[in-house]
Order: sequence, then C-alpha cells, then structure tokens
Amino acid sequence: MKKLLQKIAKKSPWLYRINAGSCNGCDVELATTACIPRYDIERLGCKYCGSPKHADIVLITGPLTARVKEKVLRLYDEIPDPKVTVAIGVCPISGGVFRDSYAITGPIDNFIPVDVNVPGCPPRPQAIIDGIVEAIKIWETRL
Amino acid sequence: MSSFLKIAIRNLLKGPSTDPYPFGETFVPKGLRGKIKYNAKACVACRMCEHVCAGGAIQIREVADKSGLEFILWHNTCAFCGLCEHYCPTKAIRLTEDYHTAHRQEDKYRYVEKGFIKYVNCARCATPMVPIAFELLNVAHDQVNEDIEKLRHLCPKCRQERALR
Ligand code: SF4
Ligand code: SF4
Ligand code: SF4
Repeated sequence: MKKLLQKIAKKSPWLYRINAGSCNGCDVELATTACIPRYDIERLGCKYCGSPKHADIVLITGPLTARVKEKVLRLYDEIPDPKVTVAIGVCPISGGVFRDSYAITGPIDNFIPVDVNVPGCPPRPQAIIDGIVEAIKIWETRL
Repeated sequence: MSSFLKIAIRNLLKGPSTDPYPFGETFVPKGLRGKIKYNAKACVACRMCEHVCAGGAIQIREVADKSGLEFILWHNTCAFCGLCEHYCPTKAIRLTEDYHTAHRQEDKYRYVEKGFIKYVNCARCATPMVPIAFELLNVAHDQVNEDIEKLRHLCPKCRQERALR
C-alpha cells in the first residue's frame, strides 16, 4: 500500500505558495502560472493547495521582511517532510533591489533550505514552469 | 442561444489556448528583458553599468596580478531593469531574450556572467591601460580617420600631450 502511494505521489506533487513580503510582482506571475488555462500547471500533475499540511513543493516569493519572518518560518515548519523548496524571483534569493533595506532579513536560504532558484524580477511564467519541473525531479528522488 | 453556440463552435475550432511549454515551443515577445550578455571586447570599463545597476549585480575589479579588469555579473540579483544597457556607451552589456533562469541551489553562486578586459600597453610610454574599443570611437566621432586611430593606442596622458601639441 505504501509503495503504491509513493508511486502515485511522485506524479502529483501539491504546490503551496508562501509570500514572504514580496512586492506582489512574483505572486501575480505565480497566479498566472497556476490559475489561467494558458500556462495550466496541472498538466505537470501539480495542484495548488490552500493548507501547508498538504504541500509537497513550496514556492516562496519575497525577500523575507522582518515583519513576516517569524510567521513564514512557522508556516514552513508546518509543511511535512519531505518537501522541495523553490525560491521565485530575485528577492528571496539575494534580496534583489531591497537587499540593503533595514526591513529585510533574507536571503531566505539563511533560514530555509532552498532547492531550486528561479531568478527574475519577476520571472516569466515559463521560467517558473522550468523551476517547477526541476523541483518535481528533486521531489521524485526524495520520496 | 445562437450566439453562445457560435462562440462554442469557434472555440472548438480554435483548439487549445494552453501554451505547450514545457512540452513544446513557447513564444517569446520581442524585446523581452532576459539574462544579460556581456562583451568584453566592446567594454571600455567606464563602470557606468556598475553605478546605475538597480540590483547591485555588477562588479568590475582589477585582478590580483594587475593584468586587467574582471567583470562579474550575478544573475541572481539582476532585476532585468535594463538600466545597464541603456547607459552603456558602447552597448557592451545587453539584455538577451533568454528567460531560462531556473537552476539548482548548488549553482546559486556560480550563476554569473563573466568577462575579462586585458590591459594593453600605451604605444608611446608603455603604461598599461584599458584598450579603447572601436565601438567607443564610433560613438565619439562621425568618421574615424587615421589620426584618431593613432590616438586610440595611447594612454590618456600621452593622448593629451599629442592632442595639445
Ligand atoms: S523579485 Fe521583483 S517582482 Fe518579485 S517580489 Fe521581488 S521585487 Fe517583486
Ligand atoms: S538589468 Fe538592471 S539589475 Fe540587471 S545588471 Fe543591468 S542594471 Fe543591473
Ligand atoms: S559594460 Fe558598458 S557601461 Fe559597463 S563598464 Fe563596460 S562600457 Fe561601461
């Protein structure tokens, strides 16, 4: 039974999105990638979910502002292992244009183990799909 | 009802509107701002790109053995704003339409664009200097004649002396 579940789960990772204080640019691109038929991420077997407890692949946007830091880390801990983390946009990866701000505590990989980076400000939906494809490859090895 | 049918039939004939990517080719809008490409041959090391860069992605530094300047651009903090290309006098730095930026974490700090400008020696006094790119002459002069071409191989000091003679 467990084997069968593992086999199925490989093909259908659920996506969960965390906004760590992004300007919303990357989130709009994520929403575009997820919700409109044009980029239809469900072709890859993925599905967005609303609860961290159901998540397999986590997509994080934003530079981890001081205000949301604790909440983001708490939320991240609620996601069961194994999980794959994807940083979307230059914000979580390096801070991007906000890098020197007093309100920023990132880069995010100081606190969270990131697996895939998709830089861009914001990256276009096709680049995000690239990142998710990469994440699915890692996901298959983690199960 | 009939108008609805018309739309339904039209949509059926049109086929799926889903972009085939990543299983097939996708479209790239003209002028898409993607990954930076740097051409060391055309660069005159004015450092304007480094100065205007919104993401702080560019560094131009002299290498340890003082044989030239090293240009490094880290894609992971570039905001694709295009300021560098806009202000570069010789267009040695350009945005390409390449949007494939996804990479694994282990490559995070290797995800760079690099270039090296080797110093040349002044034709008169042999002081090491940044070679003057032909592209710069084209920006500065309507026509590049022989005199200008000669000045190009002199360091700023010798150039000044030659010009004032
Ligand atoms: S990477 Fe750019 S678009 Fe994305 S959240 Fe940061 S500032 Fe906004
Ligand atoms: S596009 Fe903008 S952020 Fe990127 S290297 Fe050029 S100036 Fe810097
Ligand atoms: S790339 Fe252009 S702007 Fe930057 S140092 Fe070279 S010539 Fe100057």
